[in-house]
Amino acid sequence: MNGAYLELARAHAPLLMIVTPLVGAALMLISGPARMSWLIACAAAVFGAVIAVDFATVLLMQLTHPVAEVGVALFVDGIGVFAAALVAVVLALAIVAVGATLKESGASPAPLSPALMLAGAAGWTGALMTRDLIALFASVEAGWLAAVGLTAVNAVRDRTPLNGAFRMLTLGGAGSALMLLGIGMLGRAAGGFEIDALPLAQIRMPNLAGAGAALIVLGLCVKAGVAPLHAWSPVAIGRGGAMIALGVGTLGVLGALSVLTRFAAYAITAPEIGAGFSVALAGLGALSVVVGAVQAVGSRNLLRLSVYAGVSQAGCVLLSLALGSPAGFAAALMQLVAFAAASLAFYGGALAGRVHSLDMLNGYATRAPLASGAITAGALSLMGAPLTIGFLGRWRLVEAGVGAGWWWAAGLVIIASLAGVFYGGRLVERMYFRRANVTYAGEGGVWRVALAPALIAAIATIAIGLAPGALLNAAANASRLMTGLAP
Amino acid sequence: MTPEIALFCVLGAPVLQALLVMLIPKPPGLRDLIHIGFSLVALGCAAYLMNAVAQHETARIVLARPLPNVDLAFAIDPLGALMAVVLTGLGVLHAVHAAGVARAKQEKAPARLLAFIALAMAGVTAVAFSANLFSLFVAYQALALAAFPLVAHRGDEEAQPAARAFLATLLASSIGLFLPAMIWTYSIAGALDFQAGGVLAGRVDPLTANVLLALYVMGIAMAAIPPMHSWLPASSNGPFPALVAIQALAVLPAGGIGVLKVATFVFGPAMRDAAIAAQVLIVLVGVGMIVAALIALSKQDIRERLAYSVMAQSLAVVMGALLALPAGLFAAALQIVALACAAATLLMAAGTTMAITGRSKVADYVGLGRVMPWTFAGFAIASASMIGMPPFAGAWAKLWLITAAAGSGLVWAAVLASIAAILTFTHLGPLAANAFAGRAPTDAFKRPDGASILLAAPVILAAAATLSLLVLADPLAVFLSPIWTPEGP
Repeated sequence: MNGAYLELARAHAPLLMIVTPLVGAALMLISGPARMSWLIACAAAVFGAVIAVDFATVLLMQLTHPVAEVGVALFVDGIGVFAAALVAVVLALAIVAVGATLKESGASPAPLSPALMLAGAAGWTGALMTRDLIALFASVEAGWLAAVGLTAVNAVRDRTPLNGAFRMLTLGGAGSALMLLGIGMLGRAAGGFEIDALPLAQIRMPNLAGAGAALIVLGLCVKAGVAPLHAWSPVAIGRGGAMIALGVGTLGVLGALSVLTRFAAYAITAPEIGAGFSVALAGLGALSVVVGAVQAVGSRNLLRLSVYAGVSQAGCVLLSLALGSPAGFAAALMQLVAFAAASLAFYGGALAGRVHSLDMLNGYATRAPLASGAITAGALSLMGAPLTIGFLGRWRLVEAGVGAGWWWAAGLVIIASLAGVFYGGRLVERMYFRRANVTYAGEGGVWRVALAPALIAAIATIAIGLAPGALLNAAANASRLMTGLAP
Repeated sequence: MTPEIALFCVLGAPVLQALLVMLIPKPPGLRDLIHIGFSLVALGCAAYLMNAVAQHETARIVLARPLPNVDLAFAIDPLGALMAVVLTGLGVLHAVHAAGVARAKQEKAPARLLAFIALAMAGVTAVAFSANLFSLFVAYQALALAAFPLVAHRGDEEAQPAARAFLATLLASSIGLFLPAMIWTYSIAGALDFQAGGVLAGRVDPLTANVLLALYVMGIAMAAIPPMHSWLPASSNGPFPALVAIQALAVLPAGGIGVLKVATFVFGPAMRDAAIAAQVLIVLVGVGMIVAALIALSKQDIRERLAYSVMAQSLAVVMGALLALPAGLFAAALQIVALACAAATLLMAAGTTMAITGRSKVADYVGLGRVMPWTFAGFAIASASMIGMPPFAGAWAKLWLITAAAGSGLVWAAVLASIAAILTFTHLGPLAANAFAGRAPTDAFKRPDGASILLAAPVILAAAATLSLLVLADPLAVFLSPIWTPEGP
């Protein structure tokens, strides 16, 4: 009996991956106390993560074909299912991590914030499972507006995130307009709105199609915080709490980057527009790597530093995609995993002790060894230290770049790593080799259960770096499975 | 015990040593016992492995497989075994001396100091036994991170920027130059495993070989090749036990071992294809040796003088490796051994002097040999070895180096090495001589009761080790010969 239900759940896994967080969000809003709503959110997120990981494992590791022949038609491809599983896992960890800070922004947003995180994740997952570009746009907007809402409702004690939310709304609105315009142009040029048709489409107007694809990418880049379109992210995240950092800085950015990865993987393989599209992605990626690295080096705010490091990492994702090969797509997926793990560890470790500025990190290792360990793992991964997943992601990118003769891309990755040495080394030095010069207010908090996700991410950062075989296989299979797998 | 277990122990013992020293900082006696005891364990394992290599046994341990065809692996070979024995042997003496200095000077946070010295020893041992370029890179990075707290140990306004410069130079050069070279090698060869005869042999065109050689040699900044040497003077801010670890036993030797491994196991015969880069680098290294020796002459603080002096000697290792002849490679290996013995002796002697007299200025060394005869006997022997005076270790290394340079047709390289040796004499010879020839100082010492056996004995024993190559040079040539050619040097 249970086996039958399990098979039924597996058969409808893509739908459940979208519906579960939405149901969880709805239940949260009608539940009473904040703790109760958080428990519901945890249950929904963990359930969704289990379904997503199981589905991805079956599809990518066993290369079977488990998609239902009945029900709502969703379009499952390799990158979509890989990224959706990643989003689901990050959502579960983020929801658990924000439990300790539920009431920081007041009682009223307490159930609303995790609900928005769930709704946002559902939006991004929907965008990763859709075939139609219009549906993709709608799903992306759902995810993005949830992120804007999350930022706005958490700007209670400090008004800066409200300014960030306003920027998100305006810049994101412009990005949405560009994206919609791009979808129209691409659809017109390619003769349809189906994403999987792009590689095989007889594109009558390649210039129009290329411009359309570029506009879609620009719209997604705004939402992913890719430089120079990232003006919203340091303002929104730099002064926000755990909700904003994890819900927007980690989950939202990851969702947008994942959708961007999936769209780019299709668009770049379209013969008529592929070459130009590759150049555009490479240019944006290179700019983002350099700008993010420079800004991270100059940052004095820990959360902003992490944002800028993420911008640099997003640039690496774009560079990987620009290669336009299965190796490049696999490298991009590895970069996404590296970003997610490092970001969770970094934000989680910092926010567990309410650390915002670099000065507050002085002597942090003595006060909060576990949180410091999480930050260290995140920083090491961001700088691409060996035996971390960050090293693995960058290695794959450089290897794919060298294979394609893109030496300059390899050089940029090295620059990003060198910048990482600078700012990562500075963090490590402050935590381990300086004494605290401020009174620390959150001493007891750093041992809370809420730190567990950061530690899990930190351990994953190292463990995957040590034994990445399964993940590498999954990423390689995902990049190969880019034809439609669903009915 | 199997060679695999011994290999695991020689790598793991210093890590466990560091953990225990940190966990048991008091009583000092127990802490020091742990520190010295585990150093002896590491030496015992290294000696066992050297014997295993001599018996043609093999051992390889794989800790992880982070990339396809690339393991985090360690294996025994003649070069690694020799370096491990020499460095862990000197490490035992250093452990005793560091315990003595920590007590005599009442060093701040002695447990942390000893623990990171142990971790640095673990790092250099891992470098020596690395089975491939990736493992070498990981061990190299780990060593840089382990040595960073040693430079920053004092925690004052001078130490922190020096430590940052130390770490930034080592990590930036390894990531910016070594890492791309490694990835390039991987893309050419499809693997990174060290192999006698060279990974790149027959697979690389001359242009690529030249660029790769330059990237590797400059990327291994621990070898202190100009302009990547700034970490070495920066490290002279550390306490003396840290200096011994950095400049004599761990960081600087790791650079030499790294360059030697790359020349031997990555390039091998492909060094001939990289002749242009090799000759340019030899010029750079030769001039660097002379300039470093001159700068050493200008320095009045013993720490700074010895830092530049060991830099000049370390560059001889790189010169030998770049000569691309078995004789040059053998000279490089001997020079690592000779430098480790001499530099450890000099720095430990200077540390003893500092702990007892509070003196660190060169001018204040006059006459100290009369009141600290054992310590300054060691100092004089080590100075003679650094200069290259027979029968001490440095003489044999330099003899092989000059022979190899002449054999390569690079007589000018031999001339550069000889000039550097003369300059080394000018900055170390008079110093050692004046310590005995000058009038004994009459002012009170910091510790009037003199040096304890913990401070004096390691200096004398390390100095005695510089005589070892007098009888061991030929057996070592036979022992090391499998790494470069079946015929030997």
